[in-house]
Amino acid sequence: MDIRAHVSMVFHLDKCIGCHTCSIACKNIWTDRKGTEYMWWNNVETKPGTGYPTQWEDQEKYKGGWQRDENGKIHLRLHNRAGGLTNIFYNPALPTMDDYYEPWTYDYENLFNAPEGDDQPTARAVSMITGKPMDSIEAGPNWDDDLGGSPVYASNDVNLDKLTEEEREQLNEIERVVFFYLPRICNHCLNPGCVAACPAGAIYKRGEDGIVLLSQEKCRAWRMCISGCPYKKTYFNWASGKSEKCILCYPRLESGQPPACFHSCVGRIRYLGVLLYDADQIEKRASAPDHELVAAQRDMIMDPFDPAVIAAAKKNKISDAMIASAQNSPVYKFVKKWQIALPLHPDFRTLPMLYYVPPMLPVLAKTKDGNYDVDGLEKEGLPAMLSSLEKARMPIKYMASLFSAGNVPVVEEVYRKLIAVRIFKRAQKVKDYQQAEVDAALAQGKTNAEEVEAIFRLTSLPTYEERFVIPPLGREVAVEAWESPLDRKREAGFGVRNKIAKRKF
Amino acid sequence: MRSDSGKPSSIPIKIALALLQAMTLIFVITSVVFAVPPAQAPDGEALFTSKGCIACHTIGGGDLVGPDLSGVTKVRTEEWLTKWLTAPDQMLTSDPDAQALLAQYNNVPMPNLGLKPDEVAALIVYLGGGATTGNTAIGLAAGDATSGKAYFVGDERFENGGPHCISCHSVAGIGALGGGNLGPDLTTSGFVKSDAAFATFMGAPSTLTMGAIWKNTPLTAQEQADLYAFLSKATVTQREPSALLQIALLSVAGAAALIVLAQVYWGKRLRGVRKPMIERTLAAKK
Repeated sequence: MDIRAHVSMVFHLDKCIGCHTCSIACKNIWTDRKGTEYMWWNNVETKPGTGYPTQWEDQEKYKGGWQRDENGKIHLRLHNRAGGLTNIFYNPALPTMDDYYEPWTYDYENLFNAPEGDDQPTARAVSMITGKPMDSIEAGPNWDDDLGGSPVYASNDVNLDKLTEEEREQLNEIERVVFFYLPRICNHCLNPGCVAACPAGAIYKRGEDGIVLLSQEKCRAWRMCISGCPYKKTYFNWASGKSEKCILCYPRLESGQPPACFHSCVGRIRYLGVLLYDADQIEKRASAPDHELVAAQRDMIMDPFDPAVIAAAKKNKISDAMIASAQNSPVYKFVKKWQIALPLHPDFRTLPMLYYVPPMLPVLAKTKDGNYDVDGLEKEGLPAMLSSLEKARMPIKYMASLFSAGNVPVVEEVYRKLIAVRIFKRAQKVKDYQQAEVDAALAQGKTNAEEVEAIFRLTSLPTYEERFVIPPLGREVAVEAWESPLDRKREAGFGVRNKIAKRKF
Repeated sequence: MRSDSGKPSSIPIKIALALLQAMTLIFVITSVVFAVPPAQAPDGEALFTSKGCIACHTIGGGDLVGPDLSGVTKVRTEEWLTKWLTAPDQMLTSDPDAQALLAQYNNVPMPNLGLKPDEVAALIVYLGGGATTGNTAIGLAAGDATSGKAYFVGDERFENGGPHCISCHSVAGIGALGGGNLGPDLTTSGFVKSDAAFATFMGAPSTLTMGAIWKNTPLTAQEQADLYAFLSKATVTQREPSALLQIALLSVAGAAALIVLAQVYWGKRLRGVRKPMIERTLAAKK
């Protein structure tokens, strides 16, 4: 048992209102430099939709992540060693600028300086890459924002491929049109495709917290990480000639603050905390068959209260404070204890450490004889409103494609527990459910009153300290290996510690 | 104060005079001390050999690569000779007489030997002095053209480790791609017009580049003979125009092969996702 600590995340999709505040917070802090205009380390997608970059989930095209062969071994989908060498000067699996979007600004000065004329002056769009005016803007980082049911964008969502033709048709019915938001940042995976693909060895997981970082000194611009990452969360800075990615705001974490996107989140959907995991199991768990992937990933997350785990953690020099933080972690509760948070696309086999609580979505209803009728509820023998999974607007198969590598029962279990929470609380507050109905819901959700209450509290009424359990990262201890912590503290300050050598054009 | 103002500069004038005297004295002393003649005035006869003139020229021994120099001081003025010996490369671009000479002697240009002014003067004195060298040409034994070609293209090593000719020179008859471009194409070179010229030049090459290369790794007599046999034969076959066509065809075929290979290997590369997706979807709706 090789116990390590990992700063991990949960996004509660039912609370996301799609306001993009997280994206803007991140943009303002990290990617407002030349060459990074097109990067959105944090972006919010509308699902069903094609996302950013367009159809990033389609690994037939982008060749990201890992593939399991018939012997149960996993390989990078991008290339093997020989293929990597022959392609090293020409990576054939890169998204084009158009697949992200061409970043632009507006010629605001014209509004003030335009000569007097018959018409109002306008601010023309200007490309931030070429500096030339752009007369038609055809794509943006959230171009299909809120376009659920769009015949161009929503219908090209890769996850819909698992649905039958009939189910796809039904999604376009006016009563069934549905969408939800999917905020995405780097998943800081346990088995990252970007790290495996990098020929320069420039990407690494920080030992003490598992944050995946990309060294700006070692990066040699091969751009294999961009292809290797199935989530397309490493980006190439065309001005510096280096790739960049989300750093989970580690300077903020080291000073005890949550990352900017977490801190600024309006819906308070984001949770951050430490998970203890067994690093010996990474290869085995990442190689599990598709339908076991979610369970496999849960299995390698260890109980921070188990004395054996604590002993093994201490043997690996994980501090008492870190273990205490792991015991207090909201992520541990959502992912392992309650099992209602699922990894995004576990089928990419990178073992992402960002988990999502799937959204409940509005109840399906039809207007019948002038009355608002909640459809098809008798089947399951449960009361109206919050219960029918089979009649959910978004087929469970779609959610399973997103969150469980197509394993429908895993997602159903999550939903039944979430439904139990709703029915339980509604019975308490609105009092329109009978006790028998509540008990049935709890039984279906395989949960109990105490757990449901805890889920409710952490979902709806969490305090700042409950959402963000930031461990003392002990950077001064971690750097002891290569420099004196006292020197480091003395030299720390504003600005770049090591100047990045920029590529000249 | 008034009385002083009558001759205001009497003191400065005295100082200036004293300075002048001092300087004159210093000048006289230094001229005496340093006016000793330099250790050795350049010796024209020695220079004629050491600078390699003898590789291409005789005095009274007949033409080699370059003309026989007996009586040259009567044909050319001293000014012309000085300019020529100092910078023949410049003369060749401007002086019609020099250009006529170049054409007359198989277009082998006189190399710039980097001579200093006093060396030039010494050489002119030597040339005008009536000395003769006789025929300095060295004859070569019969050589084997096949092994000469092997030496030229590098199939055979030179005994003293010298570089192969093909590194810098091209010549007709060694294949379409030819050899290096640093040195002249030897197909029409005057140095391979006679074995005497070739042997004399290769014995002590006078040009800067060749001199530096062959000083420490001289060719043996047999190697020279073999090379001469090959080069004199190669000169017979002028470079054919079809050889250029061969090069062009090779380049085009090579480029085409590379493009086809790249297409085969990288044909399935990602050429964009968004635009094709939208075009496909819109086309299907119609």
